Amino acid sequence: MELPIRLSKESREPIYHQIEEQIKALIAGGQLPAGTSLPSIRVLSKELEISVITTRRAYQNLEYQGFIRTTQGKGTFVAEIEASKKEEVTVSAVYHAIEKAVETALRHDYTLEQIEVVFQEIIASLEKKGGHNNDGKMD
Amino acid sequence: MMEKWIEINRLKKNVDDFQLGPMDLSFEAGTITAIVGNNGAGKSTLLKVLMRLAVQDEGEIKLFGQLIDSEAEGWKKRIAYLPQTLLGCDSFNGNQLRELVSKWYPTWDQPLFERLVKMYQIPLTKKYGKLSQGVQQKLNLALTLARDADILILDEPTAHMDIPSKQMLLDVIVEWMERGDKLIIISSHQAEDIRKLADYVVVMKEGQLLGKFEKEELTGQFKQYWMDEFIPNEPIPGVIDRKNERILVSKCAEETESYLASKQLKWLRAETLEIEEIITYMLIGKAS
Repeated sequence: MELPIRLSKESREPIYHQIEEQIKALIAGGQLPAGTSLPSIRVLSKELEISVITTRRAYQNLEYQGFIRTTQGKGTFVAEIEASKKEEVTVSAVYHAIEKAVETALRHDYTLEQIEVVFQEIIASLEKKGGHNNDGKMD
Repeated sequence: MMEKWIEINRLKKNVDDFQLGPMDLSFEAGTITAIVGNNGAGKSTLLKVLMRLAVQDEGEIKLFGQLIDSEAEGWKKRIAYLPQTLLGCDSFNGNQLRELVSKWYPTWDQPLFERLVKMYQIPLTKKYGKLSQGVQQKLNLALTLARDADILILDEPTAHMDIPSKQMLLDVIVEWMERGDKLIIISSHQAEDIRKLADYVVVMKEGQLLGKFEKEELTGQFKQYWMDEFIPNEPIPGVIDRKNERILVSKCAEETESYLASKQLKWLRAETLEIEEIITYMLIGKAS
């Protein structure tokens, strides 16, 4: 199956790490349930236009951390993972997203106080719209 | 660690006043390498030397760990080579060519051949000389891929092909790589071949090897910066080009960024370059 992975040309994060994080988020968010078959290293490399060396590194790290498993001759599959681990990924994804937003603001010379005001404004406007989703899914 | 299947040491070859090498180069099982360079860079000469269609003046070539010489030719059955042009075939039709080639290769995969013929709608009863360049190329490919050799060497396989045929070939090659331990060397001017297939890029210029790079080794280094303000025209570490007063191109992101940071120069956006832009910088001599 094709994975909805998008590599950023602007990110300072190494490519293998971007792949790792996005696959983890898909697993933690339930979009890739346990047992789902993942594309082979060669197929994913073609889709993402990267070398098999990079893709293999991402898969090896994911396997080492217990998110996927490889069965000789059969392929690579999403592993069964504990709820606490899913939680960990979700928390780190949220932190990461907010960290990036704060970095953007700092790059534009905002003070921490100004950033907090913006943050509160966004929260308030979302609450007013009722637009925040509370079902635990990540978009 | 992947096994080195092809090892080239101190290779040198003179053809008239052109000199290839001296160069050292190796290729590992399980990988696809794209050879790129200007016209006349020596890509085809290198492939011909590998296939013993030309003999080097100096240096040695090892295949599967064995030195190759003209005496023992067993290795030839483990390599399938697709030249740019196939000579001496004009009066044969596809069926006859298949018969000739398949006898030579014990690993001949008839179902694969048939699938490619069907996919590319290749007429097997028409004489080779009467086929268009694109169809000739498709037939050559079917005859080469179906040998199911360990090593596949393709010299500009898609040069005359239409867009859908090129796309189909990408999938065929990916599938072919998954048949087991395989190695592909592809010489190509097509950016898409390089982006979608290559693990490594070998860059050649005027007979010389500029280097063999893992693809992300290049895309991780070359970056373009949109600066916050006008940047005076003084040398900046890593910077190889300025597209205008505010766009810098660097071949070493780390060096450039630490310099810019030390001068408190900010950028609005930094982006990696496309592989074809990087290759262009290397070939026009700005990045080597």
